This record gives sequence, structure tokens and C-alpha cells, in this order.
Amino acid sequence: MEWAFRNSSLIFDLALVHLWVSIIPLVLGSTIAILLAKIIPKKAVSSFNASLGAIYSIPSLALFVALPAIIGTRYIGPTNVLIALTVYVIAAMFFSARDAFSQVPESTLVIANAQGFSYLQKLVHVELPLATPGIFAGLRVAAASTVSMASIGAVVGVKNLGFLFLDGFQRKIPEEIITGLLAIFLIALIFDALLWALGNLLAPWTLTKLDRA
Amino acid sequence: MIVLSIAEIWQWFTESENWEGRYGLPNLFSEHISLTLIAIFLALSIAVPIGLMIGNSGKGEVAVVALTSASRALPTMGLMFALVMLMGVEFRSFSIISALTIIAIPPILAGAYAGVKTIPRPISESAIAMGMTTKQLIWHVQLPLAFPSIIGGLRIAFIQVVSTVVLAPLIGLGGLGFGIIQGLAIRDFPQVTGSAIIIVIITILGDRLIGILQKLGNLKTSLDRNDKLKGNQ
Repeated sequence: MEWAFRNSSLIFDLALVHLWVSIIPLVLGSTIAILLAKIIPKKAVSSFNASLGAIYSIPSLALFVALPAIIGTRYIGPTNVLIALTVYVIAAMFFSARDAFSQVPESTLVIANAQGFSYLQKLVHVELPLATPGIFAGLRVAAASTVSMASIGAVVGVKNLGFLFLDGFQRKIPEEIITGLLAIFLIALIFDALLWALGNLLAPWTLTKLDRA
Repeated sequence: MIVLSIAEIWQWFTESENWEGRYGLPNLFSEHISLTLIAIFLALSIAVPIGLMIGNSGKGEVAVVALTSASRALPTMGLMFALVMLMGVEFRSFSIISALTIIAIPPILAGAYAGVKTIPRPISESAIAMGMTTKQLIWHVQLPLAFPSIIGGLRIAFIQVVSTVVLAPLIGLGGLGFGIIQGLAIRDFPQVTGSAIIIVIITILGDRLIGILQKLGNLKTSLDRNDKLKGNQ
């Protein structure tokens, strides 16, 4: 614990980077996934799902360093990590978003049509609110894995909490590695609690329990 | 901006020195595969029996749920480094296999638990009523019916394990991640990209293979069910 106190300012800086590297992909990825879930036609869903599943299985480090060859970014730095994590969030969220939309009762949509809702109104005022619990359940799962996966970005030069693992190993300071583990775990827990609270705030009619299946 | 040409990567692939010796591709490949398979085998042999036990007795359900949620937030890279530090660098093969096994257990456990849990009670009860021993019940009824769910867990475990095996070179071991880690250090980008391509192909193939296994399992159980239904008519 002493090590953590002596290096609290370093840990704070790393945690800040870690937060950004996790939040940006989560926001971007879930937005894109929700849009895709609405846009992709029913016929194409199964093949789209299969390719997302294949992308999801690619080890993150391999995806980080494969991106420069595909889109011409630099090897070192946060851009690849942000893009790769966004892709993972899309892959994880597409299915739960799609599932959440399909849970919206058909009769509700028919009634909304009958009341003269436009497509956009229906989406914003009927479908999205009703799909919120499902989307947030998926988002909590995606958030936990994004926060822990972001640490691998340290290997390609993103100075986030993963740096504590590499540095602690090189300098043989076990406390540093343990601090990194606990800090990342703590951030994941905070994200989870915040998303749970936000989910209940947006969809108060389904108060879910904090522990998830 | 460094955009690689396909020619450069192809040159890396075809260079003979990349195919020989301790850090040649065949050697790295076999190390990669064996680390993955050993860990998954260990995790299966630990998690499946425990999952079946919990699914049958109903005790410890809360623990399974908590464990699976918590394991998602656990950075596997940190776990690997922590175990190597605790056990000592000379035992690093042992510690990485332990780390990989720990990572692979929760999803398989959850799959086995859910698989047994969803078997309708009358099926297990009638198997017992027909005079099956516990061993027969597990081998001939519960395992086949829970198989698709177990494989579903195995698939998630595989993804987790492979993504961590890639990091093995960071603790001085081999595996296909070697080309990435070393390539980044010496700025040999064709090597980095070439290794990444190999890893991507192998992982997707592995994932497909498990997917096929899952489909076969589904097919088999549904066929068995159909046969039984026809027999009843």
C-alpha cells in the first residue's frame, strides 16, 4: 500500500488516461451499435453477426497492431487502441441492442403508428426508452471488458493503468502490479454502478438489482 | 504515417530465417497452441465438474454469478504479471498457465452451471427412476444436454485465453505474440503486421472450430429429442 501512496500522483494521471481510453470507445461504440441494430436489414443480420463474432475473437494486441496496415495510422499511440476498443464495443453491443429492440412489443409500435408518430418520433420516444434496460445490460458487460482490455494498450504506448504492469514487472515491484490490478478493478466497479444508476434513471419502471447474471 | 505494402509483409512471411530456430514461426506456433490448449483443458476439467455440482445442488449460485461478473473486469494482463512476480520468473511457464486457467474457468463454469440448471427436472428424475446411477445420469443425460451451453462458455474462455497468450513474450516466453512485442521494440513493422495477421487467422479458425462443435452438439441433442418424441408417438 505504501508504494501506492508514494506514487499517488502517477496513479492518478494514469487513471485519468485509462478513463478516457475506456469512455470514448464505450460512447462511440454503443452509439454505432444501436444505429447499426436499427439500420441493418433482417436478412443481413446473421452474416453481420457472424463477422462481428469473428472480430470479437481477435486478440486485442493483434488488432491494435493490425490497424496501422489497414488504415495507415501510427503503430504507437492511442488512436489504434481507441478504434480497436470501439470495434469491440460495437461487436459486443450490436447483439444486445438488436435483442433489446426486438423485445419492444409489436402492439406498442402499431399504436405509436396509429397515433401518427413519425419514424424518428417513434424511435426516440417509444423504441429507445423501451429498449433502454436491455441496452444498459449489454453496456455494463461491455464496460467491464473495455476497462480491463484498455490496459493492454500500454504495450503499444498508451500510458494508462496498464503501464503499472509493465513498469512493475521490469522494476520488480509487486506492489505496483497489484495496485494496477486493484485500480482497474475499482474503475470497472464504479463504471458498473454508474451505468446501473443511469439505466434505472432512464428506465425507472424496471428497477434492476445491482448484481447481474 | 507508415503504410506498409503487401510486398513488405509478404517478404517477411517468405524469409527463411523467420521459419527456423527458437523464435521461428513453427516453434512459436506450437508454443502458442500448447499454452492455449493446456490452459483450456485444465479449466474444463476443473470448471465442468464444479458447474455440474452447483447446477444440481443449487448451492453456490450466487458465487457463480459474482465470479463471472467480477472476472470480466479483471485485467488478464495484470493477473499474468502478478502471478509471475509471486511465483518467481523461473516458474513463468507454470504461472502463465495458472493465469490462463484462472481466466478460462469463470465462463466455462457459468456455461456448465447454466446448462445443467436448464435441464427440466423431470428428465433427471425419470433417469433416476429408470435406475440410472449418478455416474450414468451425469454421463448419459446431463453432460449431453448441457453440452451446447458448456461449449458456449468454452468459446468465451477461448477468446480470453488467446488474447492473453499473445502477451506471453512480455514475461520472456514465446508464442505468436513474440513477433509483435519484439517487432514493436526494434521497429520492425512488417514483422509486427505479419505476426498480427497470423494470430488473427489462427484465432478466427479456432473460434470457427468451436462454433462447429457447438452446432454439432445442438444437432445431436435435438436429433435425440426428435427420436424420443417419435418413439413416444
